[in-house]
Amino acid sequence: MDASNVSINTKSSGAFKRQAFKDQITGILFTLPALLIILIFGIFPIGYSIYMSLFNWQVTKGAFIGDKNYLLIFGSWWNLLVLVAGIALFVLGFYVWNKAFQSIKNGHRLAHIIGALVLILGGVIFVTGWGMMYETGNKDFLNSLIVTVYYALGTVPAEIILGLVLAYILYQDIIGKEAFRIIYFLPYITPSISTAVVFQIIFSSRETSLANRLIGLFGADPLKWRFEPKPVLNLLGLDVSGLAGGPSLALLTIILYGIWSFVGYNTVIFLSGLGNIPKEIYEAAEIDGGSKWDRFWHITVPMISPVTFYLTLIGFIGTFKAFNHIYVMRTTSAQNTVVTTSLLVFDRFYKANQYGVATAQAIVLFAIILGLTLAQNKIMGERVFYG
Amino acid sequence: MRSKLFGLLAIIMIAALVLGACAKPTPPAAETPTPAVEEPAPAVEEPATEEPVAEEPAVEDPWAGVVPAKEIVWWHQHTGEAREAAIAKIISDFNANNEFGITVTAEYAGGYGDIFNKMLPILNTPDVPDVVVGYQNQVATYQLADAMFDMNELIDHPTYGLTKEEQEDFFPGFFAQDVLSVFDNQRLGLAPNRSMEVMYYNMDWLKELGYDAPPTTPEEFKEMACKAAETPFSGATEGAASPIGYELSIDTSRFASWTFAFGGDMFDYENNQFTLNSDAAVNAWTFIQSLFADGCARLVTENYGDQTDFGNGTLLFTVGSSSGLPYYAKAVEADGTPFEWSVAAIPHTTADPVQNIYGASVSIPKSTPERELAAWLFVKYYTSAEVNAEWAKASGYFPVKQSVAAQFTDVFEANPAYKTAFDLLKFGVFEPAVPGYDFVRDNVIEPAMTSIVDDVTADVRALLDEANVNANEILAEQMAQIK
Repeated sequence: MDASNVSINTKSSGAFKRQAFKDQITGILFTLPALLIILIFGIFPIGYSIYMSLFNWQVTKGAFIGDKNYLLIFGSWWNLLVLVAGIALFVLGFYVWNKAFQSIKNGHRLAHIIGALVLILGGVIFVTGWGMMYETGNKDFLNSLIVTVYYALGTVPAEIILGLVLAYILYQDIIGKEAFRIIYFLPYITPSISTAVVFQIIFSSRETSLANRLIGLFGADPLKWRFEPKPVLNLLGLDVSGLAGGPSLALLTIILYGIWSFVGYNTVIFLSGLGNIPKEIYEAAEIDGGSKWDRFWHITVPMISPVTFYLTLIGFIGTFKAFNHIYVMRTTSAQNTVVTTSLLVFDRFYKANQYGVATAQAIVLFAIILGLTLAQNKIMGERVFYG
Repeated sequence: MRSKLFGLLAIIMIAALVLGACAKPTPPAAETPTPAVEEPAPAVEEPATEEPVAEEPAVEDPWAGVVPAKEIVWWHQHTGEAREAAIAKIISDFNANNEFGITVTAEYAGGYGDIFNKMLPILNTPDVPDVVVGYQNQVATYQLADAMFDMNELIDHPTYGLTKEEQEDFFPGFFAQDVLSVFDNQRLGLAPNRSMEVMYYNMDWLKELGYDAPPTTPEEFKEMACKAAETPFSGATEGAASPIGYELSIDTSRFASWTFAFGGDMFDYENNQFTLNSDAAVNAWTFIQSLFADGCARLVTENYGDQTDFGNGTLLFTVGSSSGLPYYAKAVEADGTPFEWSVAAIPHTTADPVQNIYGASVSIPKSTPERELAAWLFVKYYTSAEVNAEWAKASGYFPVKQSVAAQFTDVFEANPAYKTAFDLLKFGVFEPAVPGYDFVRDNVIEPAMTSIVDDVTADVRALLDEANVNANEILAEQMAQIK
């Protein structure tokens, strides 16, 4: 290598570095506005909420009290530790069940036995931790978590299933499918406050309300709907109480609203997903004699799993954060059976003016949503088929 | 290097010593030495002619020399053509005629909740408005941060205050409502208007049932209500709900109204504790529970559902705010078959009626003496009898001054129900004005009310005992915030 070559190489290397540096700067400059917005309106409020939660912050900022607002929720850190240990064992059990002892003979069976034992142990420890927390922590907050879980489990799976079924139907060559798409999407874009008020009227406990007239057609007595704190299973004649009783009828009406409101959105997203599945796969399956159900189950469902994953993820996040329609539809008569965590935080903030306590509760809710998202990402993400 | 550093250190130390020596001597510590021997007091010449009189030290007037601010701002929540016009006129008259040259700017700042939320972050800052509308419990919350002006400082002032006659002209309950016992009886507001809980009744239906007057006792109320549940009104709208005697809305003001009517109170103003489980409250709510148990009452099923049912002729009695009078009138006339109806005192076990009154007051956030004085002068004007009559007529609220009755003859003639309610104002009492009351209302009292009427076998005393403990815990949490 002669000196001129070295010089050219050094030169070109320097120019390359300069260009790379310029590219970096350009990239950073382009992302800077978005970054600033996220920092100011996203990260800063979270950080400031954490800061507030460490103070006796009521009408004005009070003394620094460290973890006391959190201890009001959990009772003690030990309670939380036991609860988290239960969750950790769940995760471990899940891992063992699926992945452990694969290399040895009868490893599957062994993995299932040990996995099941760990899962059971995790369940026992989780329930113990929950019980300890319920004993000494904030019962209202813990109840609100149960209500939120009922709401999420009642809403998200139904939204997903109905959305997929509707999308599949609309994907076929039916007359007026464009009109149907618009009709199904309307509830999602209509302001939730106004539609929730309409639901208020439909599900009024008045004996002449639309819902009561409808069930009257089947010979049923009028129900109290939004005003009914009793669990649905009790109303069906089953003598179950506590968690097993399920959501109250009042919460069920809110769940119905949630499904009605979001199913159209899911349908439209599923439709776009269906459009991306190559037609050749269906044709091949048809030639091979696959029935409509076979094609749906073995082609559509797996091929659309990324969309399902996305919708489930945002569905759970959305239900844990849901506020507007629940706030409008809740009644005092339904008592705390419709108070989700977001409503509880709101009440603590705006009615009791206990900002420190409210922000601590909000941070715990945030952590739960984050944890659920990560768990979903891990569990469902592995099962998603990206083609 | 090392020696250089030492040199530098030495120079700094010497400089510090020199500077220290040049500094003024520090005064001795705060402790004041007590002289070992008292100096003999200088001889005081006694007056030759008069007996010595122990004169009270002259109280210095803190407002002497304070010049009211020229510009002040009033945050209110009033909307609607009539109210906006009335406010504009009141402001314009005040600005044109007040001798201090004060100019008030009235700003609509949203509803009560909006104003409350806007106020919290600016308490004790110069950004506060000079006059603000607020419910007593909201103002009590502001005062947790010691952010409100105590009007006691000016109300009796010889120059700026209210005369004894002016003070006594207020309905007693209205005047007392803004004196907050939890803050050592500070006066944190003055009432410009009020509403009252009354019983609405369908007179034509009562006549059909064989009665010629509304009930005055709970026993009469129950008898009539139960009869109505079994005997539909001839003028009821077809297809409407089934007949019922009474519809209860789960609202703490109903809790208060019935408890007051049974001779109780919700709060012990001497000990500053809730008394939700008083004997009167237990009796009142056992009575309400019995109405539900006997099928004579039911819950209101939707917002203002009781007005709808009353208008449809399927509801004999309901209890609600007097501010609903025009809406009840509309509901009755809506179907084209109007019936005779009116309002009366809530049936009571006491000798005289005891009526629940409520309404927001005008308050003055702490700022500067100049701004506070100007704000007070406007509040004084706004609540004066003449202006109050004008405001009450335009707003539809009740006036707060007894003397305005003479100016209301036209209103009374046009609206006999309003006159009936007006005559009850003197029996007004009020709900607790304590911080966190909204939370107690929604999270303690209303769930207890629901439990009482939802399960007619529920133990009323046990439920109210529990509610009382919870309410006092919340109150204690709130009061712990006082700066």
